[in-house]
Amino acid sequence: MNIELVIFLITLFGLAGIGTPVGYSIISASIMYFTFGDLDVALAGEKILQGLYKSFVLLAVPLFITAANIMNAGTITDRLLNFCIAVVGRFKGGLGHVNVVASLIFSGMSGSAVADAAGIGKIIIGMMTKDGRYSRGYAAAITAASATIGPIIPPSIPMVLYSVISDTSIGYLFLAGIVPGLIMGLVLMIMNTIIAHKRNFATEPPVPLKKLPKTTIRAFPALLMPAILLYGIYGGVTTPTEAAAIAALYALFLTGVLYKSVSFKSLYEILVDSAKSSAAVGVVIGGAFILNYIVITENIPGLMTAFLQDIDISPFTFLLLVNVIVLLLGCFLDATTIILVIIPLFIPICKALGIDLIHFGVLVVVNSMIGLITPPYGILLFVINAVTGITLKEMISEIWIFILVLLFALGIMILFPQLILWLPEMFGYKV
Amino acid sequence: MINLFQKHVNRIARTIAATLLAALFITFLLQIFSRYVLHSPFGWTLELCRILWVWIVFLGSAFLVQEKDHVTFNLIYSSSSFKARYIMSIVSAVAIVLIMGWALLPTIDYIDWMKIRKTATVKFPLTGDKIPLSYVFSVYGIFMISIIIFYLFKFIKILKNGPSEFDQSKSKLRTIVKY
Repeated sequence: MNIELVIFLITLFGLAGIGTPVGYSIISASIMYFTFGDLDVALAGEKILQGLYKSFVLLAVPLFITAANIMNAGTITDRLLNFCIAVVGRFKGGLGHVNVVASLIFSGMSGSAVADAAGIGKIIIGMMTKDGRYSRGYAAAITAASATIGPIIPPSIPMVLYSVISDTSIGYLFLAGIVPGLIMGLVLMIMNTIIAHKRNFATEPPVPLKKLPKTTIRAFPALLMPAILLYGIYGGVTTPTEAAAIAALYALFLTGVLYKSVSFKSLYEILVDSAKSSAAVGVVIGGAFILNYIVITENIPGLMTAFLQDIDISPFTFLLLVNVIVLLLGCFLDATTIILVIIPLFIPICKALGIDLIHFGVLVVVNSMIGLITPPYGILLFVINAVTGITLKEMISEIWIFILVLLFALGIMILFPQLILWLPEMFGYKV
Repeated sequence: MINLFQKHVNRIARTIAATLLAALFITFLLQIFSRYVLHSPFGWTLELCRILWVWIVFLGSAFLVQEKDHVTFNLIYSSSSFKARYIMSIVSAVAIVLIMGWALLPTIDYIDWMKIRKTATVKFPLTGDKIPLSYVFSVYGIFMISIIIFYLFKFIKILKNGPSEFDQSKSKLRTIVKY
């Protein structure tokens, strides 16, 4: 290891470790690297600028963020929830099922888990805890767990990020997320049924079937969103990036024109907030471009592959190992950081071992989304705490069981790549 | 005085950021419209979107995103003693000021040098000239200067008032939607 790499790593982990924004830590550390490596220090700025400027796929990030914010501001979520209550509220542990199904549908409209938890999550936790029918901790835990599905079913902001660092097709990645998302929904609903019977949770008064058409019609325009997005992307009308703009436009149409629930003033606030979130993520994405440059300059892929050949690791063992690492890191690191900073190190090894990058990407995204609900650093837990006031302690005692079932789902995905890959293959993906 | 100044800067920054994002959104829609409805793509839309994206990221980071909104790893910081946090925040601020300051002039040189490259399709509305990339990238220079000034002020503030408290749940209250 040469001196500039050592200084780079010390600066990076030193600064980020004491709470400096991750993006700024990467920029600073790379400037140190270029200085001690006798390279032009302007390379840091050059790599960030060129990377951000040249990547077309990344434009989906601000647009998906905007779309998610618009949807949460309007009444789309209320209508969706009424529809879900009419359909699955009648079963044992009804509102728990409503929670999961609503997340499944919402995840087909937005690419953001945080938007899911803060929007739908807040309303349904209110319903579940009214009259003390469900414990606060349980309501919050199942909401957090089901919100992790948001970025698995397309559209998905983390998948856009993964597609940039791994150079895989965002269209195929999106397709590959559909089945895993449904599996996650399924295991959560099974767990909810088991717990509901055990603790004798309330059942919702069944909504009469003759009311179902009306509720469906009220929710129909919102339910159409996933269909429009999928048709747009796979019918060849739009690229996945352009679909993000269509999603935002459609959300704007629904909330602004059809339901008249968003004013110009709130639209302005939505734009400001979305620009802010985009900028915060954008700096880290930019940092990932410099990291990538340094990783290649140091020939880290070559070194790692040589190392792996020496210890003779099987692809399966490697996948297992990476997933354990990502899971552990997820307890402490932000998902953006994991996908943009850590994962690029593993990509060359995947290639060398013949692991499919789409399969790998879905595993990584699912895994880092589970990281959003693992204490002590689980963003979704913080968000729910912030919007509902339910304490972390109440949530943590209930969240474990859901983390376990989601890990079970992840295990299935690791063992059976075909579950993930058959859908992209139907649309022409070649492994 | 400084507070009043900050308030104005913040208001202007919010308006600019909202406008840039709205422009990105509209340009994108124009692109889809031109390709699938008019059957003749405008061409300039894609490049304009990329310019707007670069500006949103760096103007946003320079003037809009507060430190607590950034992607950070704050487990160590938030669980440290007052004295440790004091040292950490000083080291962090000083390191950024020195390192960014060190790279500032060479980076501005690079940005200026990029005037030899021009946009492929986007032109100035009035003169019809293509735009030098140095104009597009100049926002990164603004970003660096603003970060240096911000951390310089932060450094002075820490010396005067001590390090900031850190409450994780509070910092996430302003739901930043990024996943």
